Amino acid sequence: MLLEAESVSRAFGGFLALSEATLGVERGEIVGLIGPNGAGKSTFFNCIAGDLPPTGGRIVFDGVDVTAAPAEEHARLGIGRTFQVPATFEDMTILENVMVGAFLRHHRASDAHAKAMEVLRLTGLERQAQQRARSLGTPGRKRLEIARVMATEPKLLLLDEALAGLTPVEVQRAIELVRTIHATGMTIVIVEHIMEVILTLAERVLVFNQGRTIAQGKPQDVVNDPKVIEAYLGHHHRRRRARKAEP
Amino acid sequence: MRLAWGPIALWAALLLFPLLVTVSDSAAYLQDVGTTLILAAIGASAWNIVGGYAGQVSVGHAIFFGAGAYVPLLVYELWELPPLLGLPFAMIIAVLFAVAIGLPSFRLTGHYFSMATIAVAELVRIVVSNWPLLGEAIGIQGPATPRGWWDLIFRSSVPYYYIYLAVLAGVLALTYAMERSRFGYYLRAIRAGERAARSLGVPVLRTKLMAFMLSAALTAVAGALYSFKFGFVNPESGIGILVSVQMIIIAALGGAGTLYGPLIGALLLIPLQSATNTLWGGGGSGLTFIVYGGIIVLLARFEPGGLIELWRRVGAAAFARPKRGAADAS
Repeated sequence: MLLEAESVSRAFGGFLALSEATLGVERGEIVGLIGPNGAGKSTFFNCIAGDLPPTGGRIVFDGVDVTAAPAEEHARLGIGRTFQVPATFEDMTILENVMVGAFLRHHRASDAHAKAMEVLRLTGLERQAQQRARSLGTPGRKRLEIARVMATEPKLLLLDEALAGLTPVEVQRAIELVRTIHATGMTIVIVEHIMEVILTLAERVLVFNQGRTIAQGKPQDVVNDPKVIEAYLGHHHRRRRARKAEP
Repeated sequence: MRLAWGPIALWAALLLFPLLVTVSDSAAYLQDVGTTLILAAIGASAWNIVGGYAGQVSVGHAIFFGAGAYVPLLVYELWELPPLLGLPFAMIIAVLFAVAIGLPSFRLTGHYFSMATIAVAELVRIVVSNWPLLGEAIGIQGPATPRGWWDLIFRSSVPYYYIYLAVLAGVLALTYAMERSRFGYYLRAIRAGERAARSLGVPVLRTKLMAFMLSAALTAVAGALYSFKFGFVNPESGIGILVSVQMIIIAALGGAGTLYGPLIGALLLIPLQSATNTLWGGGGSGLTFIVYGGIIVLLARFEPGGLIELWRRVGAAAFARPKRGAADAS
């Protein structure tokens, strides 16, 4: 087990944003976290990423207890994350952005440069290497965030809505990228609210509602779970699924 | 790089300047302005490491400059030692101040650090103004006549000019090496976004603190160089808020967070300041504030990146038009 989160809770004052979420991730898996807005999936995500210390529970990564460790320690141990709203270093070039990540494992500039170029090739940003990050649009920024974190050579990749705000064509390209990365043996946890993305990508999903996990399992099973349909997908999705099922 | 001729011409001009102006009637005056300019560039370049690259705007660098100016004169006053021997102690004291300010305030984000630096600098200025050992409001003096070359007392400002220029070259060489190292990348990442930097494993607090310590030590060198030339320092010239503000304005004018920004800022601001001082004499001292204020307004409104950014945007676009489509892909 690469990641074990046991009954993780997070309260903001008197408000319990996340209540006793439990998740185990095996090496090489893609796990999806889904749920309506405010369901607690982002809170859970930020607890795993080390951005938000949990107020209860325990998180063990690769045999190390990281429950109270700061974000930079998470990165060092091999938990890489992207941000919902891309947080690229705007005035730095794309290559420099990725080099910041590469410097985590390669202290010499020439080694970091080589690692960064390798990641830029993998993520298809090679041609824009010398442009500033601010010249990119949303899809480019999301891609750059993935490249930057890949350069830190993580064991676990946390993607926070890496596909939100993209056009259908861009979504397809991004899914390809995630698949390419997964094919290298990367373990991935992805937060997403676009159902079709989760259905095609994740092997297993965890459904959140009102701070609790209400279901988990294979995507196909989960979408048919009445609790999930009622809490999150609503009638709209049931209708759409029914329509799709027609010949 | 395509700008390689720029720095070469710049350094050649700086090296030859004191010799070239000897043909002028006011050679001594121009050499003196040049010396002030190089010293200002050293201070602004030192500030640039933490204020520019790391984006942590210190408004308290006068403390470090003051430590640099006071300690060498103090070792003379107390033990009649050459002021030069006070330099290492000045640097140590500056670094200790940096740790004392940085350790608590770097944990907070936003403007807390800037506010903390202003507060501590004013506190230090008031303490020094009332401390008999440091000459209270009157200040302290170095040796009046040179006892040997090591007292670094020269009648002409030309020797100072070259000493300062050598130090400036050293500071910029250090900055250049830093820019290309992991430390330099981490500083720029912190400036661009602390949360993202942290997520990539950047030890944010430690990196900011190291930048502040390095910047403080180099600023103390600038203060010491000041005291060697003037042989006198008082709370206003050593720890006054204008000392800090001048470093910020010069660095920001040229381009904070760039290698040559502070030097370019000094090349513009110091001659301007000298000219206004000559025109209006002592009565125009309030004018400095107006000029500084005007520069802040113009920079904030039109070009926060300073003149170097303006050149990159306007100049580079005019000379080398980027290929269409290359700049707006995805």
